[in-house]
This record gives sequence, C-alpha cells and structure tokens, in this order.
Amino acid sequence: MLIYALVAGVLFGLYFSLVGIGLNLVFGVMRIVNLAHGDILMLGAFIAFGVVGIFGIDPLFAVPLAFAVFVLVGLLLYWVLVPRLQGSVNPEMLSIILFFGLSQVIEAITTIFAGTSERSIQSRLLGTVFSTIKVKLFGGKPGASGPISILGQGFPAPWVVAAGTSLIAIAFVYFYLYRTRLGTLTRAVMSRRDEAFATGIDVDRVSAAAFGIGLGLAAVAGVFAPFMFGSVTPAFGADATVTSFAIVVLGSLGNPLGTALGGVVYGVCYMLVQTYLSSWADLLPYVLLIFILLLRPSGLLGRRVRVA
Amino acid sequence: MSPDNKPILTISKVIKRFGGFHALDGLSFHVVPGEILGLVGPNGSGKTTAINVISGLYAPDGGEVVMDDVSIGGMASHKLVHRGINRTFQVPKPFMSLTVRQNIDVALAYGRASAAPPAMAALLDEYRLAEVADRPAADLNNVQQKTLDLVRALATGPRLLLLDELAAGLNPTELDWIAERIKALARSGIAIIVVEHLMGFIEHITDRVIVMNAGKEIFEGTLAVAVKVPQVIEVFLGGEHAV
Amino acid sequence: MPSSLKHLLFIVAPLIVLLAVLPGVYQNHLLLFNFVIFLVLAQGVNIIYGFTGYLPFGYVGFFGAGAYGFAIMVMHFQTPAVLAVLVGGLVGVALGLLLTPLLRLSGAYFAIANLAASLAVLHFVANPALENITKGPYGVSLTGTFNPNMAYAAAVVVLALTLGAVVFLKNSRFGLALQAVREDAVSASMAGVNVVKMRVIAWLASALVAGLAGGVYAWYVSVFYPDNVFSGDFSIFAIVFALFGGVATICGPIVGVIILYGIYNLIGFTTPQYFQLIYGLLIMGLVLFLPAGLVSLATRRGWHVP
Repeated sequence: MLIYALVAGVLFGLYFSLVGIGLNLVFGVMRIVNLAHGDILMLGAFIAFGVVGIFGIDPLFAVPLAFAVFVLVGLLLYWVLVPRLQGSVNPEMLSIILFFGLSQVIEAITTIFAGTSERSIQSRLLGTVFSTIKVKLFGGKPGASGPISILGQGFPAPWVVAAGTSLIAIAFVYFYLYRTRLGTLTRAVMSRRDEAFATGIDVDRVSAAAFGIGLGLAAVAGVFAPFMFGSVTPAFGADATVTSFAIVVLGSLGNPLGTALGGVVYGVCYMLVQTYLSSWADLLPYVLLIFILLLRPSGLLGRRVRVA
Repeated sequence: MSPDNKPILTISKVIKRFGGFHALDGLSFHVVPGEILGLVGPNGSGKTTAINVISGLYAPDGGEVVMDDVSIGGMASHKLVHRGINRTFQVPKPFMSLTVRQNIDVALAYGRASAAPPAMAALLDEYRLAEVADRPAADLNNVQQKTLDLVRALATGPRLLLLDELAAGLNPTELDWIAERIKALARSGIAIIVVEHLMGFIEHITDRVIVMNAGKEIFEGTLAVAVKVPQVIEVFLGGEHAV
Repeated sequence: MPSSLKHLLFIVAPLIVLLAVLPGVYQNHLLLFNFVIFLVLAQGVNIIYGFTGYLPFGYVGFFGAGAYGFAIMVMHFQTPAVLAVLVGGLVGVALGLLLTPLLRLSGAYFAIANLAASLAVLHFVANPALENITKGPYGVSLTGTFNPNMAYAAAVVVLALTLGAVVFLKNSRFGLALQAVREDAVSASMAGVNVVKMRVIAWLASALVAGLAGGVYAWYVSVFYPDNVFSGDFSIFAIVFALFGGVATICGPIVGVIILYGIYNLIGFTTPQYFQLIYGLLIMGLVLFLPAGLVSLATRRGWHVP
C-alpha cells in the first residue's frame, strides 16, 4: 500500500508539476498572478471533450491543439490586458482582481454553453493512438490498454501517460529557458525586471511569450484533468487555481523548474493523505499552502531575498 | 569638530550577513550630539546597510549598537523612532496617496517626540512645502519627495538623524539650501550621519568622516586628511568615485 | 462641527433610519436583509483592504465561522440568539487571531493564503467526522430561534456599529496611520507607527464585523449548509461592491452595494451564469478603466468624497 501510494504520488506529482508550471512562468516573468489559470485548465479539458466528442479520436491529439490554441489566446490576452495594467499604480494587486474577473467570465461563458454537469472521458480512449500504431507496425490484436505495471503494482494507463507528457513539457520549459535566446532573456527578466528594462531587453516580447507559453501549458495540463480527477465541470477552475498555487509556492514562486519539485512533493503528500487519512484529504492543499507560505515564503528551493 | 561630549550612538564590531555575503564586517564608530558625521566609501561598502541596521530595518548578526547606554540592536523601527532615531531614504518613500500634510500628520501623531515637535506650519514653511501641502505626495517631484522624507523624520523630533543620499539629484542652489538646513539642525543639537557620494557636499558639511570599505571602517577623521591616506586613495581609485 | 459628527449625521444616520423603516413599507424583507448584510461585508472589506491594503479573498471564512459559532451556541448550549450572535463575532475574531500570521504575507501571497484558509475552514466544518459538533455537510436547522424581525434589527445594529468604525477610521489619526502602513510599511514605522499592531487591529476589526454578520445571517435564515455560509460569492460580492464604489471612503462601499446589488436584484437571479458573466466583465472593466472606484470620478475633479 505504501509503495502504491508513493508511486502514484510521483505519477500525480509529475502531473501536478505540469499543472503549476505555467502559473509560475507567468508570475516569474511578469509578477502577475493569473487567477484564471485554473480556468485555462478547465478549457483545456473541454478541448479534450471536443476532440473525443466531435472527432472520436484519441484525446492525446488535444495536447498539441490545446497548446497551440492557448499560446495564441495568451498572446492576444497579453496585448489587450497587460499594458494597461502595468501602467497603473499597483499592478500586482490589480492583476489579482483583473484575472479574477477573467476567471469569472470564462467560467460563466463555459457554463452558458456547456451547462454545469460533470463531464468525463472513458480512460481507455487515452493512448489509443499508440495501440493503433502498435497494431499497424507489429500486428497483434487491437484492444484497450490495461493498467500499466510499475514495481509490481498496476496503475491506470492515463496516469502514466499524463506523467510522461508532463516530463516532456518540463523538458520543453527547461530547453526554452536555458537553450534558446528568448529563454535566456526570459531568465534575465525573471531575475531583475527593472534592470532588464534598462539594458534594452524587449520586456514586452519576452513577457508575451511567457504568457502565451504559460497558458498553453495550462491547457495541456487541462487535457489530462478528466482522467486525473475523474470529471470536470466549468466550476473546476477555482479549485485548480488554488491547487496550482499550492504547488507553485511549494516549489518556489518565480522559479518554474522549482515547480517540478513542488509538484512531486505535493503529489506524494496528496497520495499519502488520501491513503491513510482520506476524510481529511480535502484539507491538504489549503493547509499545506498556508504552512509553506508562512514557514518558507520563498518555497523549498527559494533563496532568501534582500529587501529595501 | 565642535562638541566633544558623550556619544549619542556607538556601534562596535557590527556584523550583517546576507547569505554568505558580509555586508557589514565588524563596523565600529560613534557619533556625538550636534555632530555631522559623513559615511563615505565605494558602492557596496555597506553604508546604506549601516543606516538600515541603526534604524532597525535589519537586525545585526553580531556586534553592538548602543544608544544612550542602551543596546538597541534589533529593536523594532518604531521603538527606535520613539527613542529619537530617524532617517531618510535613498529613494524617497512618502505615503504616496496621502497629502503632504497627512504625511507629516502621521509622524507628528505617532512619533512621540521627546521635546515638543516642531509645528506643522513651521515645517511646511521652512522646507518649502507649504504650496503643495494639500496635494498627494505622488504629485511631488523627486526633490520635494526627498524633502518630505526629511520633514517626516523631523516631525518625530529626532536626536539622531540618518540621511541616506539626500543630496543626490539636487541642483547647486538646492544643495546650498539643504546644506544650510542640515547644519542648522546639527547646531540645534541633533547628531547627524550623512551617507553621500558628492564629496564636495561632504566636505562642506561634515565635521568628521568614516571611510568604509567591504563592510568596515578603514579611516576616521576629516575628509581633508582622508584624501591623503594611501589606503583610502586606493579604495577610491579602485572604485568609481574620484575624490 | 467636526467632520466625524458630520459623517455620522449626514451619511450613517439617514441610512440606518431608512433601513429601520423600510420593512414597514417594503414587502421583500429578505432582500432588505441581504442589502444590510452586504453593506456590512463591503464595509468590512473596506476596513481591511481600503485602509490596510490586504485583499481578503477568503473574507467569507469569518462570515461562515460566525454563522457556525451562532449555530453551535444555539444547538448545544441553547443560548439566546443575541448572545449567540455576539459569540459568532468572537468566533470571527478567534479565527482572525489564528490567521494573524498571514499578515506577514503581502499582495498575492496574502490573498491566496486567505482564500486557502477560508476553504480549509469550510472543509473542516463540513467534515463528516465532526458531525456531532457541526452536523458536518448535512447542515443545521435552528428553528428554535427563528425570528426574522429581530434578526433584521440585529443586522441593522451591526451595520450601524460597522459604519461607526469606518467613520472613526476615516476621521482619526489611527485611520490615517493605517493608510500610511498601507502605502509604505517601512516609512510608517519611521513615522513611529507600530505597523504590526495596527494591522492586527484592523484585521481583527474586520473579522469581528464579518463574524457578527455571519451570526445574524444564521439567525435570520435558521436553516443552512456549510456551502451556503462559506460560499465564495460572499467574498467576491463584498470585494466587488467595495471596489466598485471606491475603498478607503465611507460612501464608496455604500454606493457600490446600492448600485450593484440593486441591479443584481432588478434583473433577477434566475440564470446565475449571466450574472457571473456580467460581474466578471464589470470587474475587468473596473480594473482597467476605473481602478479607484466610482468615487474617483468625483475626486479626479477635485471634489472631496467622505
């Protein structure tokens, strides 16, 4: 049981890293708290519903689609909202309220078009593309992919697929930040925003890219949400935002790769509490968040910051 | 140096670390009432950190800060203000959305000046803020905001005043004016510590300077003597500020 | 005449008198009651956000805690309703005390931590393991104390106290010092202000107000579930109303509640998602075009708004 909880915790944890990483990228670069983050996840889930419901194909195809769509949405939103915000007296505080408003709008519009019922996708649909390819190449019988065995325990295939996708996404973020020019500039802006301005870095372009990628990653995480959480409703966003925030703070606010660690720690805690103290599991994200904020505001990986 | 009476503030062997970096590394000096003491040194030598430790923004990691025979290291800022310490900030920090008058009002009400604090009207008048008294501090220009920082400090009736680069950005006329004000404050018995890069200004107003490098003092005396000491010259020529 | 007296005479007194006589001429008492509750909550948000700058996303936590404080006193100790309301207020203060460490956080950190705290309290109260004490997720029924008229009167009294507190903040050096802390905590301490003490006082005052409101609410509705009294809508509405009118003023939140909650009820609430949409757009428009609230339309012209 302990091994099961630990492995499941790591699988969920990797997924949770993906859930939080976009939020952290946006905060790290722009000092803006995207309270609509969870709603982007929810919309990602609806893209998956759409792909399955309309085309009847493997929801994995929703991953590139969700990413592309929300990178564009992110760029668009950035140009509409952020310049006005940055010009105001207190951008950080106002951004919280602004994106809170946005989350309300997204939730309302989704409810108007999709209703409030809980939606889910049969988990055997995820990854059918792989089994089809396998059948095409190596022959054999097409069939549902069963549980995947790790350390002698069976885990639902979608958990493993989601964890794998998360690893790829984290690697992508690492590559972006450390191996591309825009990424290098992004890190410069993250560490010293004011000085980045002074040195002539196009902060707007860097921020817009980070915002787009952040939203894109959130939508990708959302594609897997129906499998990881059982079902998704338009109201899913608010809880997802708080959970993401807990994960991000756990890692280190403003350090996207710290989120990978935060996600795994969170996932393992989540599974342990779920296994041994299930009636109190609901409390975990909130209590964990508060304690981490109070004990180590800069996160597990954070450095102490010099003030004034 | 005019008065040679008892120091109001003595700091000895003060250490302040940020992670592994020693911003203050055994700094010692003292200041007496009515004296204007200059803190000079290259960037990063710990001048502002020293001011921050004395004014309670940072607790020292070692050494002693003693005022009126009481150890005050690590005491909360507002308590230090009530004991008679106040300061201005390198980048002025007024209460932006409050009016100038309200800015000063807060300090008059909560400063608990030991002697009767100066009157609002006199302060506004003397520091050329009367015309903008009812405007929000955000509307003021940089020099006015710096002056407001100073006036807020004075409203608490300080006996030890720490001025962090008050003169930076002022034009020559304003410099003369503020120099006269600082000297007048010292004549009234306030001990003043000035952190400044403008050497001419320092020479003009200070009785004595402490030259700092790498978190400790390397020279104490008048600026005229300081510029002849090889160690001081080396520090400054190595740095960016010519004397 | 000192301005505090003027504010009491010309803003607070007319509003209280109006709310006291309205039930006699207007039939929809529930609506009036909700108006009073939202006036209290919006002013409570005004105290903590307007005067100290902490955005309380989890403000409903105090409200819900007050409601359950009331319920537990009535269910387990059969206390009279008025006493139970006071206990509700104290429960709000107790929760506020428990959460004072959150004040070390700033900006978004505080807002999110406060939201998390309110959700934690909700999940705690609604936990089936505590059924013996809170009735868990099954809700409480307090038919013994049911008395809407008295509860309404109590709500008006709580509103009067709250407005009195805001008038005090607006006209006192204490309130000025709070605003100084909001603007710049370091400078405030250099003005001699005990920053921590000031914040805690404002925080507990706003917790008390919400706790009392929660107690009165429990008295009025008498049957409720955890999800009702811990509904995030209370926090959202209170914050939006206060912001819309303009915080750090006496009138702003009042105007905000009257206009926005008025519109809310005029259109009716059969399809909540349309309201959510309108509210969301309103919030966004507000931040982008009128960040200091309706009153800033007047203050920009140099008019003084109390």
